[in-house]
Amino acid sequence: MNDLIKQLQEIDRRIGYLIHIKDTDQWGNLAEFRRRTEQLRNSAFDISWDEFSARLAKLDDSLRFLEERCEEGLTSMERVRIVRSPLRFTLKDILENVYEEHKELGGAGEANIDPAMVVAKANIVRRIKRKPYTSPVMVIGQEVGRGEEFRNGGSCKPWGNEKALRYMRVAETEGIPIHFYIFTPGSYPVEDYPGAAQQIARNLYTMTKLRVPMISVISEGGSGGAEAIGMSDFRLMFSHGYYSVISPEGAAAIEGKVREGKKVPAELIEKCARQLNITAADNLRLGTIDRIIKEPLLGAKSDDYAFFARVRSEVIRATDEVVLRTKSVRGFRSYEVKRKKAENPDEAPQIDIPWDLDEDETDRLLTLRSKKYREMSLHSFGGITMPAETIFKALYSVSEKVWYTLRYDVLKSQQKQIQKTIKEISGEGTALINRITAPFTKIFSKEEDEEHRPVPRSLVAQNSQTTGDYCLLQDPLELTDTYTSPLANEDRTITCPNAEKHGCKDLWIPDLYGEFCGVCENCGHHFPLEYQWYLRNVFDTDSIRIFNNDIFSKNPLNYEGFDERLRAARSKTGMGCANLTFHAKVRDIEIVVTMLFSDFRNGTVGSAEGEKFVQACDIARRKKRPLLAYVHTTGGIRIQEGTLGVAQMPKCTMAVREYIDAGGLYIVVYDNNSYAGPVASFLGCSPYQFAIRSSRIGFAGPRVIRETTGIDIPPDYHDARNALKRGHIQGITDRRDFRRHLYQVIQTMGSPSLYYR
Amino acid sequence: MQGKVLIANRGEIAIRIMEACQALGLDFAVIYTEADRDSEHVQRCQLKGSEQNAWRVVSYTDPNDLLAVADHSGCTAVHPGYGFFSEDWRFARRVTVRDRPLTFIGPSWEVIRDLGDKINTKRIAQKLDIPTIPGTSAPIYNEMEAEEIAQHILDIQREQNEPNPAVLVKAAAGGGGMGIEEVNRIEQFRRVYRQVQNYAKRQFGDGGVLIEQRLCDFNHLEVQLVCSRHNERIHFGTRNCTIQSTGRQKRVEAAPGFHSSCFKYDFDPEQVLDSVVEHSLKLADYVKYDNVGTWEWIVSRSGRPYLLEVNTRIQVENDVSARISYLNGKHPNLLQEQIRLALGESMGYEQNDVIFKGASIELRIVAENPARDFAPWIGTITRFDLPSYDWSAVYSHVPFARPYPIPSEYDPNLALALVWGDTVQEAKERARQFIDTSRIEGRDSAGGSILTNLEYLRRNLDRLLTF
Repeated sequence: MNDLIKQLQEIDRRIGYLIHIKDTDQWGNLAEFRRRTEQLRNSAFDISWDEFSARLAKLDDSLRFLEERCEEGLTSMERVRIVRSPLRFTLKDILENVYEEHKELGGAGEANIDPAMVVAKANIVRRIKRKPYTSPVMVIGQEVGRGEEFRNGGSCKPWGNEKALRYMRVAETEGIPIHFYIFTPGSYPVEDYPGAAQQIARNLYTMTKLRVPMISVISEGGSGGAEAIGMSDFRLMFSHGYYSVISPEGAAAIEGKVREGKKVPAELIEKCARQLNITAADNLRLGTIDRIIKEPLLGAKSDDYAFFARVRSEVIRATDEVVLRTKSVRGFRSYEVKRKKAENPDEAPQIDIPWDLDEDETDRLLTLRSKKYREMSLHSFGGITMPAETIFKALYSVSEKVWYTLRYDVLKSQQKQIQKTIKEISGEGTALINRITAPFTKIFSKEEDEEHRPVPRSLVAQNSQTTGDYCLLQDPLELTDTYTSPLANEDRTITCPNAEKHGCKDLWIPDLYGEFCGVCENCGHHFPLEYQWYLRNVFDTDSIRIFNNDIFSKNPLNYEGFDERLRAARSKTGMGCANLTFHAKVRDIEIVVTMLFSDFRNGTVGSAEGEKFVQACDIARRKKRPLLAYVHTTGGIRIQEGTLGVAQMPKCTMAVREYIDAGGLYIVVYDNNSYAGPVASFLGCSPYQFAIRSSRIGFAGPRVIRETTGIDIPPDYHDARNALKRGHIQGITDRRDFRRHLYQVIQTMGSPSLYYR
Repeated sequence: MQGKVLIANRGEIAIRIMEACQALGLDFAVIYTEADRDSEHVQRCQLKGSEQNAWRVVSYTDPNDLLAVADHSGCTAVHPGYGFFSEDWRFARRVTVRDRPLTFIGPSWEVIRDLGDKINTKRIAQKLDIPTIPGTSAPIYNEMEAEEIAQHILDIQREQNEPNPAVLVKAAAGGGGMGIEEVNRIEQFRRVYRQVQNYAKRQFGDGGVLIEQRLCDFNHLEVQLVCSRHNERIHFGTRNCTIQSTGRQKRVEAAPGFHSSCFKYDFDPEQVLDSVVEHSLKLADYVKYDNVGTWEWIVSRSGRPYLLEVNTRIQVENDVSARISYLNGKHPNLLQEQIRLALGESMGYEQNDVIFKGASIELRIVAENPARDFAPWIGTITRFDLPSYDWSAVYSHVPFARPYPIPSEYDPNLALALVWGDTVQEAKERARQFIDTSRIEGRDSAGGSILTNLEYLRRNLDRLLTF
């Protein structure tokens, strides 16, 4: 009888699980089922064993039927609830059931720098003809836990992500593959060092060129937190997992413009979840993952052992495939891997493929990784040119590359070499001659010195009269009166927000947006200015040449109502997307600029913006020019593009990494508001990040922080000054000094392989 | 004349503007702060009722308040006086380009802007071959370049047999004596340079530094120009403002700028005075100056003049120049001229119509303690008796007939006394007589009696127009 009662309890649990997934007991008459199991339990000792087991079997049958119906019609939001169920397997289960002899590194359980991030050195075993072959791997992933507070629901603190990065490097040193398991609703949004956004950016930057095979498996992929350990050579996803740019609730709150504290309507959340394309099937179709690991009905739980066996063979196969692709001789083995997959998906390939790579193979691995990410989301924006033109473009870029390599690498280094030799020889010569002639020249030198003393440049009044203007000797770094903000056309005064603290006088609008450049003269508070001001006041006059202006944002997920909003943004700004890329000069030094501006969808980054950024990186790399990313404002990743938007994070970081590795100088300047994804990837990874005064930089805004952590942050939490204090940025610039500062940076930072060095 | 003038200032200048307006038949309105309620410039006006022409504001430097009064009372022009907004080109521009434009009684805002910047003035002067103090004409940001310049300036001084060659390192964005250091030996230079640069960066947000020759042993001269909006420019002679308190505040001024009866100069005084006047007019012509203004000069003991700066406003001491000038046998009133010309009239006379005769002295009577670094005295004045002669004039906002508490918010200036005579000696004699017959009494809160600079003024009369 006890056995049956246990079965009954199991059935009750399944009913509870269904209710959890459906978020209601009205569906499929679940309430009635509940009542019937209740009744059965109460009458357990009143009825016969046969009767009981018959009713139990009936219950089981109808429940199975319900479960199958539920599985068939599983909505996106239901999948999210499956993932969030406490019954779902966690990383611990995987470590125990998929790997052998795992040893947790960097803390264990609660005694941990961040218990939400688990790192373990583990062995994975495959049997070939009954003989076990063991391979060591590094397993890194978030541990959601089962309600323990210290696990923080798998939401990693910045230092947790830093820990992950540290052990990725260990794996790199030891030359063992890394298996990432992503179980996170998102990163914990605090700015304390090393900083949520900045650390994710550092992780991504390192992962782009990590010299070992990496496999990632997604169960719960919450945007930035997922990317922190999400970049890999092969991305797997559990069939019932979700991978999204933002939680459906968050998206709904933004879409519905729901005020803080108000309840977001459930239908809206449901709709957003559907539109965000967060399921495994969606992501496979969009190309953001490579393969799906099938889970049992309604998702795997912690006791689905068959499922764990499948996980093992899937990750072994994925690793095998990644490794094999780098081998020069691989025909038969890759055939074997494919054959096995076709015959029996639950069994690992029956050949031993060593997972350590030699130099050439590692280089091939990195090339393939770069290609993989660069090709992501290529079809989700408009303006890609026709194939014929593409060939022309490819030819053009190849010849350009040859030309610039010849010009700056070969010729310049030759020239440098020759100059150096001449210098050394002539230096020797002068020393020798001086030695010999010193006694004679000494006598004459006295008179000669007195002869001509050059007058310093700044002391000479230039004999102009050339222009009617009586300003002489213009500082070339000072651009004046070329542009006045349209904000200035108003006879009105405005009060500085620091008036109380610093006693600032009211500012007359034409003054403020005219000569004051939007800066309070007294306290230095910067009022926001439109991006056009920078175009006119930072770069040399008439030096701006815009490129790739034909690339424009589309609505790749057919997000409802987004086409209209895009159209509105386009007609408002006259631009195709929120990223403007152009060539410009600063005191005759040519630079490449990519500029995210607020007028277009608040500077959010989608596929078009990402592609333009990548191309800007590549142009700067080919031409050996400095690359400036000026962020007028960015609101993060464009949520309406779902994970296609998220893919821009690794994609752009890849381009940045390759640009910097080629000897480029990548400068990031933040203005106004810069938050979320872009900061946590291709912006935050720059070694030279600066901020314009009074700007804000961070991972998540105050509201998100309050809603996810319950912490009320002070109003200056994201201030540039605090970002500097925390070590996130390298310096703060006055807007009026931007040009001077930029010139100084270009002159003093970066490697000798820049073209003007 | 047509129009109504907002008098955007306080003290004696407000009264002088008021009287000038009355003489020209112009309506006017004044502003005052709570602290100035007892001042004569307020008491002469109506504080309420339908005839009200005095309006209380929070501060003389809040443009919103000022313009609100101007609009409410229907003013068509603003006279800024001296100090406050008089040389603020942004204010001048705002007044003239706002939705309800007013006439700014002063030069055009472009001129105020271009000459308000000392560095720019220097550049223009150099372009016109007008002598300026040797040094940089643009802010320097580079240490090596700066050192080279300093070395050069020191070398030149040595060549000219200057006994103590020195250069000044100044914060380009600074002013009023802040952020200035002296260097005598080039070895010290870099340290001082960095010090000033850091100070400038901290204080003004810009690390630009100026380097120029330090001058000592000089006289401070001024040229009074009066110009109209119709391209007419004449001068009202020179004056000498060398006698200053420690804070570089002028105390005694005299006109003309030099006189051979006072001192045996190493140069021909007439020739030097003529040259500074000529240079001043040349610069005024070049920038199309169109109102009253003062060109400040420094003249070394050897008679070398250097243009220092241009004050694009009416000055406190404008009347010193007026008292040695005669138009149709009478002293001109430069404030009346200023208002008249700013409102668009043409001059109506030429340089030849201005006859210069005799000498004049201005005494600035201030409640202060010259022995203790000119510390201001605060208290209530109980007796204020200044003599009246047909060779003297007094400008004051202190009432003669009733006690007057000096407001602690503002400088304790009490009065300007002007005396004139046929020779410098006569003017000096009369100044002494004026001081000796002045009676000023008062008490501070501790019961102490008033401190004034009358004795200091008397002592310094002998120093006038000498080196």
